[in-house]
Amino acid sequence: MKPLKPLLPLYALLVIGLPLAGLGYALLGSVGVVGPLAEGFTGRYWQALAHDTGLLYAAAFSLWIAVASVGISVVLALALVLRAQPSLRRTPLPGLLYVPLVMPALVMAFYLFQLLSRAGWLSRISFQLGLTGSIEAFPELVQDAAGVGIILAHVLLTFPFLTLLFQAIYQESRLAELSQLTSTLGASAGQFRRRIAAPLLLRRAAPTVLLSFIATLGAYDIPLLLGRPYPQMLSVFIATKLQRFDLRELPAAYLAGFLVAAGLLGLILVLLRLVNRGKVEAG
Amino acid sequence: MRSRLLIFFLVILFALPFGLLGLLAVGEGWRFPDALPPAYSLEPLRGLIAADNGLLAGLGQSLLLAGAVAVLATAGGFVVARAVARSRRPGRWTALSYLPYALPPVLLAVLIQPFIIRMHLSGSVGGVLLGLLLVALPFATLLLSSFWTQRATEYEQLASTLGCTPRQALRWVLLPLAAPLLRTTLVQTFLLGWFDFGLTNVLSVGKVRTLTVQVFTYVGEANGPLAAVASLLLLLPPALLLLANKSALLRKP
Repeated sequence: MKPLKPLLPLYALLVIGLPLAGLGYALLGSVGVVGPLAEGFTGRYWQALAHDTGLLYAAAFSLWIAVASVGISVVLALALVLRAQPSLRRTPLPGLLYVPLVMPALVMAFYLFQLLSRAGWLSRISFQLGLTGSIEAFPELVQDAAGVGIILAHVLLTFPFLTLLFQAIYQESRLAELSQLTSTLGASAGQFRRRIAAPLLLRRAAPTVLLSFIATLGAYDIPLLLGRPYPQMLSVFIATKLQRFDLRELPAAYLAGFLVAAGLLGLILVLLRLVNRGKVEAG
Repeated sequence: MRSRLLIFFLVILFALPFGLLGLLAVGEGWRFPDALPPAYSLEPLRGLIAADNGLLAGLGQSLLLAGAVAVLATAGGFVVARAVARSRRPGRWTALSYLPYALPPVLLAVLIQPFIIRMHLSGSVGGVLLGLLLVALPFATLLLSSFWTQRATEYEQLASTLGCTPRQALRWVLLPLAAPLLRTTLVQTFLLGWFDFGLTNVLSVGKVRTLTVQVFTYVGEANGPLAAVASLLLLLPPALLLLANKSALLRKP
């Protein structure tokens, strides 16, 4: 294969140049320099940020959803790998865990809406069983204030993937043999799980867990179907602002887009550090 | 006993979506408080082949887009990963390839939209394809970078020493060696395009009606049966890929 000299600059232009140009455009839009109603440089949209609670609430809500979803998924995956090893090796469990990987987020959201909404399948079953007397008696599990439906959808998509990942690391690191060794040295099964297995699995899976966290933080499809108009998750908040008919809202939307993208870029830098540290440790 | 209970619970958990979506697709007049549909009809499924139904067109558009994304990203990623491996600072290029990960697809679409409009690609398949490639190409590059090790270079040099032209070395040595990883990359980038909704929805401005866009439209119109049919169609190709090669679904860069 011959080397293609201009390939990397072209790649950089497409993959890095275009998003960075977009980020620059958003920054210029947030100070009124570009955009359909640009009137020249102004700092008023940045000043208004201090009084606008919308973005702050969206950020806090997204953070809550990401922490809860990834946290629950990690705990479930760890529990399965550390406490149900024999089951995980038995058919059909390993194959079964792949099933959610073929599910688009939008389909998962639609399914959960049909299952958990007040007119949904669970509500109908509870009505038929006499547990609830009307639609309103069923608890609000989707489009709720705490984002229970959104969290559940993310957990259902993330925990099987993390289980498969932890299981692969468990086998690669020969933790079963290590468990026997620690047992010979007098450690209990609980001590092995807490002090050796869980830290090792978490450390090696940290970059992927962080990637899942970033993906959940910027989720769009699931909160669009299962979320409320307020509070919204960040991606929905920004996309909604940009798609409004009122063009005067554009600079504030550009500002929100710029700040969120810059924040997520910071998280990716942390991820890269984790990846590099892992490579150094692996020798 | 505990093991059987766990397996039973997970079977129910993961099989229920298919069951419920199937019931929704064929259930007629299914309203609260009925736990099961009062009647069944294959009308929404028959509607698939009706001339005025957009579902089949959406399926075709989704297949075309995801297929094009998979082929272009995998081929491009293979070549770019080689250039990255042989550059002076491969670490920096790898780090830069992570950039699109920082941006959720919908945010990426929002950021590049002004340029897509200026390039007259807004609302076109080309615009959506370009947007998807911004995510899929670096993904493929990162995934395929593990192939371009010292070993691959040595094989390439050996083939050259034995009289192969660069094209022959690529065809008879490098591509067979990289085949499993190329298959994985094809599957993963196909799914990336197939699953996408946010980026397509923003860049297509309602004109490129892929299956995911149609699911959202039908949900908005409270048309449960058609939304369920579209959802089941969305599940079909990934399920077939899962049956064919499940390990290709798990690998991450």
